[in-house]
This record gives sequence, structure tokens and C-alpha cells, in this order.
Amino acid sequence: MIRPYEVVYIFDSALEDEAIAQKLTTVHAMIQVEGAEPPVLNIWGRRTLAYPIKRHTTGYYVVANFNTDATLLPEFERALKLDDAVLRFLVVLNDTPPTPAQVIPAKGDDDEEE
Amino acid sequence: MRVKKGDPFAELRIRVIDYKDEKLLSRFVTERGKILPRRLSGVSARHQRQLSVAIKRARYLALLPYIKGHHG
Repeated sequence: MIRPYEVVYIFDSALEDEAIAQKLTTVHAMIQVEGAEPPVLNIWGRRTLAYPIKRHTTGYYVVANFNTDATLLPEFERALKLDDAVLRFLVVLNDTPPTPAQVIPAKGDDDEEE
Repeated sequence: MRVKKGDPFAELRIRVIDYKDEKLLSRFVTERGKILPRRLSGVSARHQRQLSVAIKRARYLALLPYIKGHHG
């Protein structure tokens, strides 16, 4: 089943931007399904970690949104796990996209609120 | 001090809390980094459930600390 996913990667900040971009292309090839759009990337860049991970105090954050088949994910996650350049990653289902920060909807449509 | 506060997320017109918005999430943790009880923050039950998952994800991604002021 094809569903929307969101992945946050934290790369080793010592890596060159091009090396990271290349790694992203490689891993994203693993989750590419026929007819699906290529992943939408949101590159946050280098930022300080709230606590050290694997002795690193900074990380290079990338958020990717894509549609893929769940059966492709285990192999994708395994590849990330084995990659030493990836300090950490999180894959989440994104079927209810969060309300974007600082963007206020035009009219009150949150009728479920009490 | 029994002031009934409205749900801050309803006020901000947020339906689904984003775990990547660490600025927003940081308003709902104590100075030590613990999740604030909704009795203090006035968050609705529905949003508190979302919030706790969001804070835990943000911690995993090192956007928020597990313990603030801890230098091990």
C-alpha cells in the first residue's frame, strides 16, 4: 500500500553538502515507486543538537516527504542504520500532515475542538 | 490561582501538532525538560496526547533535550 511518509535525517555535520545530497539520492532511490513523485526535501542544514549523539554536538538536518510502499521501508531503514554518516533518522507516517507553524488558516474549520 | 485557561492549541488554530516545531513544543516543558501536565498548561486532552508524542519524537531527534541542564 502506498502511503505518505516523512523522514527526518540527522547527518554528520562534518560531511560536505554534496556528499549528503548524494547519499540522499542513493537512499531515496530505494523507496522510489513507479508513478510516485520524487521526495520533497526540506534542508534545515547544520544545527546544534540538544544533546550529543555519537559524540557529535551538531548535525545536518534534512526532512523528506514522499509516498512509498511500506514493504520497501525495512530495507531503506536498514541501509540508514548501517550508514555511519547518519547519526539518527526517524520515519513517520504522514497521513495527517501537521498544521504548519505560523500559518493561520483563514476560517475556523476546527469543529472537532471543544 | 484557579484560572481556567483555554486550550493554547485551539487558540493558535493548530489541529495536528508538528513534532519538528521545537519552539512551540518548548513552551510545554518545564525548565528541566519534563512535559507539563495539562492541569498547568490548559491543553485539551486530545492535544495533550498529540503533544506528548510530539515532544518524545522531538527529543529523539535532539530538537529538545531529555533533561535540561544535565551535562553528563
